[in-house]
Formats: sequence, C-alpha cells, structure tokens
Amino acid sequence: MTEILRVQDVEKYYGNKGSLTKAIDHVSFNIEEGEFVGIMGASGSGKTTLLNCISTVDKVTCGHIFIRDSDITEMKSSELASFRRNELGFIFQDFNLLDTLNGFENIVLPLSISGVPHNQAKSRVDEVAKRLDIQDVLAKYPYEMSGGQRQRVAAARAIISKPAMILADEPTGSLDSKSARMLLESLDSLHKNLNATILMVTHDAFTASYCSRILFIKDGRLFNELVRGSNTRKEFFGMIIDVITLLGGDAGNVL
Amino acid sequence: MFFKLALKNVRKSFRDYTLYFLTLSFSVCVFYVFNSIEAQKAMMSISSSTADILKTITMIIGYISIFVSFILGFLIVYANNFLIRRRKKEIGIYLTLGMKKGKVARMLVSETFLIGIVSLGAGLLAGIFLSQWLSVITANLFDVDMTGYRFVFSSMAFLKTVIYFGVIFIIVMFLSTVSISKYKLIDLINADKQNERQKLRSPLLTAVLFLLSVTLLGAAYALVLKNGIQQFNTMLRIEMAMGALGTFLFFASLSGFFLRLLQLNGKLYFKGLNMFVLRQINSRINTAHISMTFICLMLFCTIGILSTALGANNALNSGYKFCAPFDASFSSAGKIDIPTEMAKYGFDIGKYTDNAVSYALYRDKSEKLTKEAILGTVTDKIPDNIRLFFIKQPMLLIRLSDYNRLMELQGLEGITLSKGQVAVYSDYAEYTPELMAALKHYLEKESSIDISGTKYDLYGKPLTNGIVTSAASGIVLALVVPDDVIGAGRIEKSYVSFNCKGDRKSMRKQLETELYAMQEKYKDQKDGIKVKAETSDIVKTVAAGSKAIISFVGIYLGIIFLITSAAVLALQQLSEASDNRKRYNILQKIGADNRLINKALMKQIAIYFLLPLALACIHSIVGITVANDVISDVGGIDALGNIIITAVMIAVVYGSYFLATYFSSKQIVLKGKM
Repeated sequence: MTEILRVQDVEKYYGNKGSLTKAIDHVSFNIEEGEFVGIMGASGSGKTTLLNCISTVDKVTCGHIFIRDSDITEMKSSELASFRRNELGFIFQDFNLLDTLNGFENIVLPLSISGVPHNQAKSRVDEVAKRLDIQDVLAKYPYEMSGGQRQRVAAARAIISKPAMILADEPTGSLDSKSARMLLESLDSLHKNLNATILMVTHDAFTASYCSRILFIKDGRLFNELVRGSNTRKEFFGMIIDVITLLGGDAGNVL
Repeated sequence: MFFKLALKNVRKSFRDYTLYFLTLSFSVCVFYVFNSIEAQKAMMSISSSTADILKTITMIIGYISIFVSFILGFLIVYANNFLIRRRKKEIGIYLTLGMKKGKVARMLVSETFLIGIVSLGAGLLAGIFLSQWLSVITANLFDVDMTGYRFVFSSMAFLKTVIYFGVIFIIVMFLSTVSISKYKLIDLINADKQNERQKLRSPLLTAVLFLLSVTLLGAAYALVLKNGIQQFNTMLRIEMAMGALGTFLFFASLSGFFLRLLQLNGKLYFKGLNMFVLRQINSRINTAHISMTFICLMLFCTIGILSTALGANNALNSGYKFCAPFDASFSSAGKIDIPTEMAKYGFDIGKYTDNAVSYALYRDKSEKLTKEAILGTVTDKIPDNIRLFFIKQPMLLIRLSDYNRLMELQGLEGITLSKGQVAVYSDYAEYTPELMAALKHYLEKESSIDISGTKYDLYGKPLTNGIVTSAASGIVLALVVPDDVIGAGRIEKSYVSFNCKGDRKSMRKQLETELYAMQEKYKDQKDGIKVKAETSDIVKTVAAGSKAIISFVGIYLGIIFLITSAAVLALQQLSEASDNRKRYNILQKIGADNRLINKALMKQIAIYFLLPLALACIHSIVGITVANDVISDVGGIDALGNIIITAVMIAVVYGSYFLATYFSSKQIVLKGKM
C-alpha cells in the first residue's frame, strides 16, 4: 500500500506571547491509500484545526505535511489552489453548496475550474451521480433539496476530480439520523468500491464507527488510536464509546 | 453610552461607509457650488444686465435644486436602507442582549447624524474651495473682467445646503427608526442564513419578453427618428413610454435569456467560472432589474443633458455676433420718431452719439406680399420651424439708402441696385445653413419677384449683414429695395441704431446704466416706454446668460444624475459583497485560485456597471441624433466634441465608482482567511 498522507511533528499555535494556545501539539501520523480514517475529539480539542492544516486552508506553525510525497507546508498560495483542486475533495458540515447553481453545476464546478472538456466532465458527473443516487436532483437548486441530498451532492463534488484524499468535516453534523446513515453508507461504498481515501473529523461515535481507523485527539495531542480490523461495526462502536469514556475520564477523576 | 457605540461603529465600518460618505460629501459640494453662483459677482466688474442674468440663473438653479434634493434624498434613503440591511445580524445581537428597539434605533440615528455632520462639513469645505474656481468660469462665460481675487463665500448657499441636507437626514433618521421597529428578531438573527430563492422564469417566457423588449425599443427608436422631438405631443409621449417599457423588459429578461442561450453552448458556459458569474448575475437581476432600469434611464438623461447642454452652448455662441452690429439699437412698432419719443423720458440720444441712423421696415403698397413669395418656392429645403412659423408673415421692405447707411456705420461696403432691382435680405440665414442654402437655391432658380403687382429683378446674392442690435433672433427674410419702390408703403417698425462716441466702452456702460435707471423709473407707468432699447452689451450678456443657464443647469443635473446612478449601483454591489463572500470562499475551497476569483468578481461587477451604461449609450445615440436636428436650428453644433467631453466626464465619475466598488468588494470577499 502507498502512503497518501504523512503528518510529521506538526504544531499550530494561536495567539501571541502573552497568551499562547497550542491548538496542535507535536502530532504525527500516516494515512495509507484506501483508508477511511476518523479523527475524534471533543470541541476545542484541535481536530478541525488539524483538518484545516491538512486541507491547506490553514498554515502550520512548524512541522511538515506530505500528501503523495509533496510537502504542502512549503507550497506557495498559487500552487496550493491547484493542489487543492486536483488532490483534495471537501465535504463540509454546512454543505457549502453554491445556492445560485443547480446540482449538476455544483458538481461540475471543480472540473470547469480545472478546464476539463465539457463532454468528459458531463459523463463524469453522470457516473458519480449514479453512484451516489442523486440523478434526480441534478436539475434542482440546493434550496429544493433535502439535507441528505445536499450532502450527497457535496460528496459528489468532492470526489468528481478523483482526488487523492477526501476531507470531511463533521459531514453528518447538520443531518437527521436517517440522512446521516445514508450519507455514511455512501462514503463507506466510496471507500470500499472505489478504494477512496477518506479523512473525516467527527465527534459523533456512530459516525466514527464507519471508519477503518480512528485517531483520538485531546488538547491538541494524539491521545489514542483505534483500528477496526475484523470487528463488526457494532463491536467497533462499543470500543469507540470506551475510549470516549476514557477521554472524558480524567475530568471525572478530579471530581 | 450608545452615542459612544455609534461613534465606534462608524469608525469601525468606515471602510464600508467610504463610498457612501464620499458620495454624500460630493453631493453636498456640488449642491453648494451651484447655489453659490450669484455670490461669484464679488470678483467681477459686471453691468446691471449681467447682474440681472445672474439673478435669473440663481433662481433657476434654486428651482432645479428642489428637484435635485428629491433625487439626493432618494439616494440617501436608499443607501441608508442598504447599510441597515447589511447590519441586520449586528442589530439582532443588540436585541438579543436586551437592548430595546428604541435604543437601537437611537443608536442608528446617532450614526446617521454623525455621518451627516461629517459629510456635510467635508462637502461644504470642498464646495467653498471649488466655488472659487467657479468665478473664473463664470467670468469667462460672460466675458467680463475679474477685479482681482477675493475670497467668495455665499452664506445663502451655505444655509440652503445645510437646511436641505438637514431635512434629508432627518427624514432618513425617521425612516430608519420605522424600519427597525418592523424587523422581527428571528429574521435579524438568521439574516445571513437565508438563501435567496432562485426565481426562474420559464425559458419560453424570457425569450418572448426579450424579443418583445427589443421590438419595443426598435419601434420607439424608429418612431422618434421619424417624427423628431420638435413638438411634445401624444406621439412623443407614446414613444417615451415604449422606450421605458422596452428598457424595463430588457433588463427583466436579458440575463435569463442569455443564460439560456449560453447554456446551449456547453463549452462556453462551463468554461472556468463563467457559469458561476452568469448565475450570480442572474440570481440578482431578478430583483435588481427595476433599479437597473432606473439607472439606465438616468444615465441616458445624463448623457443627453450633458452633451446637448454643451452643444447648445456652442450654438448660441456662434449666434450672437450677427445680432449686435451696433453699440445700440432702439426700436418701436409702427411709425414713431424715436429720438423725440425718448426725449419725453428725459433721454437724449445726442449725448451718446453723433451718427445715429434712423430707419424703418415697410409693408409693400398692396400689403399682400408675404414671405411665402420666396419661401413657398423652396419649401422642401427650409427647416420645419421656419416653414411653420414664418411663411405666412408679411415680407417687409428696407430702403436701399437706409441699408447702405447702416453698412457704412458698420464700416462695410454698401450695395448698388440697378433700376428695377431688389435684394433678398436675411441675417438669420447667417447662422442657419439650411436657410442660406435655400435662399441661394431660390436666387439661382428665380430671376424676378412680384411686389404689389410690379415685377422686379433679383440681386445676385442674399444680404446677411445685421442691421439691428437685438437679443431676439434676427430678420428671417426681408427685401432691400430702391427708395422709390416703397412709395406710400406703411411703416411697420421704426429703428434708430448708432455707435457711441468717445470712449465707446465706458459710454456703452453709461448708456446701459441710464437705460436701466429709466426703465426702473417708468416701469409702473400705465403704457410703459414704447421704445425698446438694446445695447450690444445687453445682447451679448443675454446670449452669454442663456449659454450659462443651459450649461450650469445641464452640468448640475448631469453630475447629480451621474453620481446617483453610479452610487446606487456601487452600493448594491457592495451590499451583495458580503453575501458573495461566502460563495467566493466556497470557490476558494474547491480550488479556484485568487486570479480566477478576481477575474470572476471583475466580470460580475463590470457587467452590472456596463449593462445599463451600454443600453443608455444606444438610447443616447438615437436621442442625440434627434436633438441635433433641433439644436442645429439655433446654430451648428460640434456634436463630436461635446460627446467626447461627455464621455470623458462619465468615464471619470462612473469609472471611479466602478473601480472603488471592485476594490472594496475584493477586500470584502477575500477578507476571510484563505
């Protein structure tokens, strides 16, 4: 298996001399191709900051991040834009679909920006839409779609350019449980059938149970790592709950 | 406490307010400058007639200012509403924190008050400074001497500006209080989450509407080109209504129509961010087409007003030299001995001149001769207004000996007519090329004319040198005839013309003063003075005055229209910029680089600014073509030069608003990290 992502001793500080916040504190890990990795942690643990650094939206204070052997911490902003376009796909909590464009146009946008000929782009969209079962919402505008449909359109947009890695930030955060389950099933099938590499940030144990491996973060540090291995999803869910209990544990000890 | 908050708010959002603030200050400045025209005389040595004209200009500008204050009031209310809407969320937070609506309203009122005070101050300061230059321009227009620099400050214009804008700001404060009281907290807090529903009309409907608008506009153009605008009749009103409706439908359907059209061409539509830009425009134009229509029509007015104002200026300029061949002319209807008549009022012509020429215009013996005798043979060559107004009027006769004495007074060669010969006279033809051509054509075609039953030969060319100093336009058509032809003809109008003796310039001034004093003294008398007296200075001043009125009013209105339309567009774009910011951030996240985003933003704003301007230009081409026909009756105009000046003015003002909008939008859109 080839390595897709290598996070090497990354630190991210906020604030100034007076009040320094270490949002990420010496974090290192690798992700191999085809993995479905979750990052879990409570609010303020630094998981979104970490994702922002990986997604090149934010810059690290020190350390290096390699995606397919290119060091994104050394890139210029013009390179970063095309890198984001070609190598990364994003799924956000609030969908981030463009309200002025219909489903098809939202999905095809990254290809338009990259200058992919329209015929090719169209067949790619059709293919992805079929896979995510959203063919019938392609002509609709975001405000005409349900939350689940919107998120699947967003997922389609994320994978349309065949990125090296899909980054998902709380993708089920604003979905009801049924839509969340449908989205997770789609992500799972992308992972299994297309061998897509997915990095997902979540604080929800159920969402996390779809992952093949979970990294737990607390106060900016890697706290624990959990591999699903041959366990069923239900068993894995139990293991996650145990770790969460442990994570929250030390506060309990103090009391 | 909330005053402090208001102060902080204004300072903090200064960047958002910059354009608003600059627009306000500029309007105040323009308002002051144009209302201070009368005060400019402090720097000049002017005659009583010039003072009169300046008073008239001030009065006219005063009326126009009321209209202008309505336009500016609308602009300021509109701008203020935009600013409040933009701050819905902030207002929502104040309300959730327990601030009462009244207090929030008071805070907004304080903000308006602060902005009002600052922009009023800055505008007045700039206005007072700029009005110093206006003196130079005014002096130039009236061709008078500057008496040396003096600081000009018009307390009347100052007060007027403060009062007018004060009232506008009070209205704005009142309206913002009203609009606050109508908001619901839930809407305020969710203000930035609301997605605008994409209202899409059916493709067939947009296509039909678009074709309808193009047809309406085309028909309006064709009709107006055919019928002209000489008369403001029902037809013209219908044409105007068609034009306005066509413009409205054009903007209502344009973006939808083009969107569909471009969607058919997938290659272009899906290239880069084209799709995004088009959708962006389409999403707003559904709500913005009404303001686009108004802006377009306003720009059309601006272009029309500016170019015709400058044009009329030139036309009048070339006209007046033919109207003032002598230092003074006295005239009176009927047979009257003018020096005797004037003596009754204690006025002695001999005091001013030794060489007064008395002369008259006569009817022919039969009193049947009309201008139709000549004009009737060349009807197709003469301008409409001459045909309509003058053709049935009697043709008057001038004695050859009078004519030659008048030429001599001007230092010009007289003419000799052989026996039985008459000459065609028209000083009006000198600045109406069509009439000149028609008369020349007539003289080539005809060799004789019938006066009271006798045929006379025609002198080879029309005579055009002026024979009377008068602000009214000259003699359209008359005949210079040997003295014996007049015979017992009745005197229609009596004249005395002369040049002053001694130092002509100071004599003229003295004459003017005495005439004014006399007029003043006898103005309440029942019949008034029967003799009309005009000096060349008065004629020149009247000409310069009409020139100045048209230029000042035109430029004043033009500038106000221009900044209003540019400011409305700019404010719309800026208030959208924060909505757009989210969209552009999404684009950045999915990998559009800054270059691409800047390009898309530029395209979007450029289309918004250029669309109304482009249609306004097309309207104007038609409008100016038609207007030229009217103005060229008054004198030839240099259309191209005026259009270039107008274009430069529009490019500078409109262009600066466009650039300011682009750069501030860019700042707002890209302010978010990344």
